[in-house]
Amino acid sequence: MGDDYPTLFRSEEMSLMQFLIPTEVAHDTVAELGELGNVQFKDLNPTVNPFQRSFVGEIRRTDEMARRVRFFESQIQKEKDVVPIRPLYDSAPLVTVGPSAAHNIDGLDVTLAGHETRLGQMNDSYKTLSERTRELVEARHVLRETAVFFEKAETQQTDIRTSFDDSSAPLLQHDDREQQYLSSVQFDLEFVAGTIDRTRISTFERVLWRVLRGNLYMNHTDITEPFVDPATGTETRKNVFIIFAHGDALLAKIRKVAESMGATLYPIDANADKRSDSLREVTARLEDLETVLYNTGLNRRSELLRIGENLARWQDVVRKEKAIYETMNLFNYDVRRKTLVAEGWVPTRDFAMIHMALRHATEESGTSVVPILQELHTSKTPPTFTRTNKFSEGFQTIMDAYGIATYQEVNPGLFAIVTFPFLFAVMFGDIGHGLIIFFAALYMIFQEKKWARQELNEIVGQFFYGRYIILLMGMFSVYTGLMYNDIFSKSLHIWHSGWDFPEPASNGASYAVSNGHMYPFGVDPAWHGADNGLMFTNSYKMKMSIVLGVIHMTFALCLQLPNHIKFKRPLDIYANFIPQMIFLQSIFGYLVVCILYKWSIDWSTRDTEPPSLLNMLIAMILSPGKVDATAQLYRGQGFIQVVLLLLAVVCVPWMLCMKPYFQWKEMQMIQGQGYVGLGHRNGGPRESTDEVLENEEEGNGRAIVEEMEEEHEQHDFSEVVIHQIIHTIEFCLGCISHTASYLRLWALSLAHAQLSEVLWSMTIEKFLGLSGIFGTIALVMVVVFWFSATVFILCLMEGLSAFLHALRLHWVEANSKHYQGEGYLFMPLSFAKLDEKE
Amino acid sequence: MEGLFFNVNNGFLEGIVRGYKSGTLTQSHYASLTQCETLEDFKTQLSATDYGNFLANEPSPLSTATIADKATQTLVDQFNFLRSNSVEPLSKFLDYITYGYMIDNVVLLITGTLHERDTHELLERCHPLGIFDTMPALCVATNVEELYQSVLVETPLAPYFRDCLSAADLDDMNIEIIRNTVYKAYLEDFYNYVSTIGSTTAEVMHSILAFEADRRTMNITINSFDTELTKEQRAKLFPAIGRLFPAGNNALAKADDIDQVRQVCENVGEYRSFFDNSGSAQANGDLGDFGVAAQLEDRFFRMEVHLNKLAFLQQFQYGVFYSYVKLKEQEIRNITWIAECIAQDARDRIHDFIPIF
Repeated sequence: MGDDYPTLFRSEEMSLMQFLIPTEVAHDTVAELGELGNVQFKDLNPTVNPFQRSFVGEIRRTDEMARRVRFFESQIQKEKDVVPIRPLYDSAPLVTVGPSAAHNIDGLDVTLAGHETRLGQMNDSYKTLSERTRELVEARHVLRETAVFFEKAETQQTDIRTSFDDSSAPLLQHDDREQQYLSSVQFDLEFVAGTIDRTRISTFERVLWRVLRGNLYMNHTDITEPFVDPATGTETRKNVFIIFAHGDALLAKIRKVAESMGATLYPIDANADKRSDSLREVTARLEDLETVLYNTGLNRRSELLRIGENLARWQDVVRKEKAIYETMNLFNYDVRRKTLVAEGWVPTRDFAMIHMALRHATEESGTSVVPILQELHTSKTPPTFTRTNKFSEGFQTIMDAYGIATYQEVNPGLFAIVTFPFLFAVMFGDIGHGLIIFFAALYMIFQEKKWARQELNEIVGQFFYGRYIILLMGMFSVYTGLMYNDIFSKSLHIWHSGWDFPEPASNGASYAVSNGHMYPFGVDPAWHGADNGLMFTNSYKMKMSIVLGVIHMTFALCLQLPNHIKFKRPLDIYANFIPQMIFLQSIFGYLVVCILYKWSIDWSTRDTEPPSLLNMLIAMILSPGKVDATAQLYRGQGFIQVVLLLLAVVCVPWMLCMKPYFQWKEMQMIQGQGYVGLGHRNGGPRESTDEVLENEEEGNGRAIVEEMEEEHEQHDFSEVVIHQIIHTIEFCLGCISHTASYLRLWALSLAHAQLSEVLWSMTIEKFLGLSGIFGTIALVMVVVFWFSATVFILCLMEGLSAFLHALRLHWVEANSKHYQGEGYLFMPLSFAKLDEKE
Repeated sequence: MEGLFFNVNNGFLEGIVRGYKSGTLTQSHYASLTQCETLEDFKTQLSATDYGNFLANEPSPLSTATIADKATQTLVDQFNFLRSNSVEPLSKFLDYITYGYMIDNVVLLITGTLHERDTHELLERCHPLGIFDTMPALCVATNVEELYQSVLVETPLAPYFRDCLSAADLDDMNIEIIRNTVYKAYLEDFYNYVSTIGSTTAEVMHSILAFEADRRTMNITINSFDTELTKEQRAKLFPAIGRLFPAGNNALAKADDIDQVRQVCENVGEYRSFFDNSGSAQANGDLGDFGVAAQLEDRFFRMEVHLNKLAFLQQFQYGVFYSYVKLKEQEIRNITWIAECIAQDARDRIHDFIPIF
């Protein structure tokens, strides 16, 4: 049953369970297991088409229900006044398990269909009504606007006439009579009036002009208010047009063109009285229609309100039902089609809970047949399931992004909780900046409950997800900041400094004199501002990063050990772990020892100069045994270095040959005993207790398991050799390049310190001396600028870059030492996760 | 050199179109589609492909027309995305693709008006890629002159119509002649245009357009047997491009029956297979010329698909855009065919579609 408490050290122990569920409780059982969220079901019919599975009908029905619910949702969203949707926890529960489940679901289906038809009818009538209203409104506009045209035309008529008649002199004598005639009938030109989409007006005009060869007089004006389509809510803008032309053929053509271009034509009388009559009539009808329309709208709204009451619940139910049936589609029927056979991965620890759930489901559904649960033996690798909480989740995600841990492998996510923020902080060491991100993370943690519920945008969401990582990063940065004695690039002076600066000498330089104090913690503030301060921190941070790097790599290498012990691979301990450890320690471990030793010596009292460790390392490899007397660190150095180098050199063939050799020997031994690999194993030893029954049922389960078994890797000898060669080369070269890679700790921390110093000296420092009111105002402004630059450039940008480098150090430098990461994630059926996905 | 700067303006869109292309249905998709029992299954099956949820919000009794419409809509959306993100000369090239559909729409509208169909119904049946602003006004025209003067003069099709202005009245025969004349002009123009936009594009597009032209030539020839169309008129309708041009075209202009067409096609290696089985088909007697033509059409489609697939083997050219549209069109035809077969329960013919990949 594994350990007593769930741990991050290894992923959970998983078992493959077979569920034999009577058909009548299948739905409720799956619902219960979905609430529990602890079982990952396997697809037992991978060859069956999605639409040939057992529960397609139910899925289709839920799809239809989901479509209706979506329809309601879109209708509610389109509604201009907000329709409240009662949140899920507040709405009435709908029982979907137990004996009344089928009834309830049927009821829901009917309710949804009813609402849909009602809403559809209302939409239709609303649409027709608003269509008619729109027509009437358009008609009113046409009447009004044409009236304007006519009035204008009347005032200009005389001019038009005279100008016409100028060219036709013989008609002049009839002028008076014609005038009278005209004023009585008003107009003898025929015309077409209507409305058309504003975007089309120019095309319309062009086409008409061409069709009629210019024999027309067209006038149009804009209708100021837009028409809103009730169904889609889009706005269209229209124009009123009136076209005068002569002759029936032309008018017919105009009508045809207008209709095909989507214009609406309205019959308008040339007579002004009739026009005003119809205007009155239109207005009256419009008023009636608007009342009806208003009432319909009210009805529709109350329907939507009723829907809004339950919408969240319906969405929830439909989503769950769909998930349940999709899961049930993964199941297999037994021979008599009475029970469903399901297989799934289950955390071994949660057996009891699942038993409880199954029993509960049976009780709920009111039958006495309990689903049977039994463990299957399989050679398939179980999924990796690491239990995380909100604190460890972020760190685990960082490691999962590199690769999901192989089943039961040592999980680097656990150690990342400390090492990740620490390596970050080494690069980001500044008390001030650390405090800023610490408080930012703290703020997010206090807002946790509120923010977790609402939807955050992508960037904020990312930061929020990593809030605990940021919190630790901030804390660690404060610590390393204290170590570096850096706060916004200034230093803290807490204890007595170990150095005094006497009066400057004649050339303005002052040499510090030791006063016997020892600064107890971190870097002595006297270094700050000293001419050789940079040189000191440079050398200090560089060496420190090597020390940290070697420690980190050694630690990562050691994590191999529990893996090898757990999976019973003693050969890997002797053939991989030990030589690798010796190789790493004999070169780089030795370097670290030398660094520490060199630090511990007071070189001012020695008669030799401090030797360069870099040159020492190079000389150790290039000219073994010879140590320059001036660059000697300690006595017997040459001999020790030769021994270490030999150790390292021996490790290479050791790593290269031992494992392949032993595997080859093992193979020889097996073949010598007369076994020949079949390349295919039978699915585990069978327990033969109750043969007849078990063989039938188990056989069913087994057959499926075997069918899905992945092809086992052929243990080819050449493959082992090649793999080992690659592994050895990778490790040996990796040791060197990875150690060098840790120098990024030094580079980034130096860059960070320099950048913050530059920011300080370029902004605030220049304004500190200014006095007077302007000085103060300038100082305040500069402080604001400095602070925002600190937050955005130093904390956010530099922080991100340090974050990425820390990430790389974990993924590449540490993980490559022990991590296999060949697992796959445990994805249980879980309603809670279903909600997250939406 | 064109390869060097191709990606500056067109790399993104080429990537997009190649991505679209990788979403075309494969043999296994078709295999599972043909197994569907009902259109509901069909919808479930399609939702697992790149078409995604394009039918999700359709109320339940599905019709094949809806499926075809929605599928075309996805193509149109994709095309519009490409078109609105493109710059010269790609945008011009994409416009050229739409001209073919515009010609079809114009002819559809004229024919419809001639037979006094409802204008709005006709407009709905037009291919959405070939819609242009003044299109509705086409239904007013009663002769070609008027058609040209009132509507077409401002569309990109205007130059193609200039050649057939002489045709006096609109009747079915004349409309067919207009369609072919216009299409001939269009193909020739397109052919010339692709020659100006880089050698790779020209190479790819020429082979596709040449086949298109030859296909039209053969179709015109076969369809004009036993009609009023004179041989001189027929010769005028043949596009002056393609692999049969000029000798083959001349021979086809004089052809009197399908055997002569076959002899002409023998001269081009790739076309030889078109008439392979026609002898046996004729032996069946019942099918006669019609059977050959139907079979021929199928083989033309196969050839077209093959050529369009070849276009994707070349980099840095515009042919992929043309080919994608054509392949997708074929795919929509396939989907519609399968859906039709399911709806009408004609399972024995369900495999008569043209697989693309």
